[in-house]
Amino acid sequence: MTIRTRMTVWYCVALLISILLTLVLALDELRERKHGEKASKGMEELVGVVVWVGIPAVLLSIGGGWWLMHKALAPVATLTEAARRVTESNLNKELPRSRNGDELDQLSAVLNEMTSRLHQSFKRIREFTLHASHELKTPLTILCGEAETEMHHESLSSAERERSVNRLEELRRLARIVDGLTLLAKADSGLIPLASAPVHLEELVQDSFADTQVLAQASGLSVKLTTCEEAIVRGDPHRLRQLLLNLVDNAVKYNQQGGSVVMDLRARNGTAELTITNTGLGIAPEGLPHVFERFYRGDPAHSHEVDGCGLGLSIAEWIVTAHRGTIQIESTPSKFTTVTVRLPLLSEMTKVS
Amino acid sequence: MAVRVLVVEDEKKTASFIRKALQAEGFAVDVCDNGADALAAPSATPYDAVVLDIMLRGRDGLSVLRQWRQHHNAIPVLLLSARGEVTERVEGLDAGADDYLPKPFALVELIARVRALTRRGPENKFSVLRVADLTLDTVTHRAQRAGVEIELTAREYRLLEFLMRSAGRLCGRMMILEKVWDYDFDPNTNLVNVYVMRLREKIDANFEPKLVHTVRGTGYVLRETP
Repeated sequence: MTIRTRMTVWYCVALLISILLTLVLALDELRERKHGEKASKGMEELVGVVVWVGIPAVLLSIGGGWWLMHKALAPVATLTEAARRVTESNLNKELPRSRNGDELDQLSAVLNEMTSRLHQSFKRIREFTLHASHELKTPLTILCGEAETEMHHESLSSAERERSVNRLEELRRLARIVDGLTLLAKADSGLIPLASAPVHLEELVQDSFADTQVLAQASGLSVKLTTCEEAIVRGDPHRLRQLLLNLVDNAVKYNQQGGSVVMDLRARNGTAELTITNTGLGIAPEGLPHVFERFYRGDPAHSHEVDGCGLGLSIAEWIVTAHRGTIQIESTPSKFTTVTVRLPLLSEMTKVS
Repeated sequence: MAVRVLVVEDEKKTASFIRKALQAEGFAVDVCDNGADALAAPSATPYDAVVLDIMLRGRDGLSVLRQWRQHHNAIPVLLLSARGEVTERVEGLDAGADDYLPKPFALVELIARVRALTRRGPENKFSVLRVADLTLDTVTHRAQRAGVEIELTAREYRLLEFLMRSAGRLCGRMMILEKVWDYDFDPNTNLVNVYVMRLREKIDANFEPKLVHTVRGTGYVLRETP
């Protein structure tokens, strides 16, 4: 039954009840008057009828109406809540349906069809990226291989050799971009299973601290590890190392001569909190919401001074999210930038599960 | 007798430069461009190693490999793959591969890996490695150059040990990252360059001849002659 029919029926029933009630009371009143009581109580009588019959009838109608509307619109609230939760990653999840065939059920069905079409489109885009990056790998392998073979030719002049080295370096950069794209395209489609082992984050942080010191030496940066508390998380050690290296590498690359990198790992309230702060140009406030987007480059004037594939932070974000953690960046331009990664500690996770 | 390598790769150009590069290194190379022919090849000719692409038209590389292993053919196999994901590496090694290289790869890496696969006899079993007047004790982790003690960090030690064990052979960046750092992804940093530079300061700066050499665009080699 459609909502319109249902509401009409309910409304008619409520109206009928009110009218009947009024009639019964009015007839009662008339009967009393016929039995010879004085007919001229006038205004008081009328006020009595209005107060004792009219007001309850009106209240009944209001209450009934409110109840009717509430009952009819209740599924809308559920629908709104469910629609609010729809994102790119759960498009395949259907909105709840009452299956009684009314307008709202039809609306849910139409919305479901729409999200399923969107889901298909997103899937096609992901598959396209995945196929494109696979297809790019064969020609890239050939180009890299040929450039490398050519570089070793004895007959090459030093200028020619220089050119071929440069070409090879650019090809390798392209290969890294394609690698990053493949990784993200696979991650989007949920094709990368992660190991789930207890990982001593503090050991990984110590390791990457040692690497950072070495990386930072060339630009005269000072590197500090202020705190490094024991923090055991559940996850994929390879990916977590990739995450750390990614972040410290950024902290070194986007720094200034004589600047600093400060690392800090604490275990608090069931969360491992890692912060990496670096001096340097920083990120403008309008750029901050976009730093995790693929190929986002902050200030175009400076983006080409640093060699990167533009996917590092997107990959970092994926790794953190896949470990049920959060990552955020704060920055004061020309002063410092802080990246904070929070991951659930192992003990908390066991409590939850 | 030359070391004989079979290259199973259906992409002609890739097969061609792999063949040229391996031939230039003194290997005898045969190329096979499909899985079906590859299946029977090792039983017909005694190969020392196989470079096997996973993505082949018709029968794919992994199934060829599984078939070989089922027939107890223990020939060393280096898998090549355009997908290059951790899971695939694991899948490949589970199927019986000896090593795995994601595309696009550096030829140096390929050659170094094929060489490692075809190396006959046991590895250097001496606990002290020696190149010119540089020695490295793999038990006590002590390094000396011309009798002078050299202080090494743990990572530097692992790097030097790897370079000394492959003395005279080119070592690619990826291979170093894999063996010394245990990274199975390309972290896109100059970590290796920086570490090699530091190592060079310690073992080469005050000594002659220089032992660590950079081959631009490809990798590093540790040897006496420049």
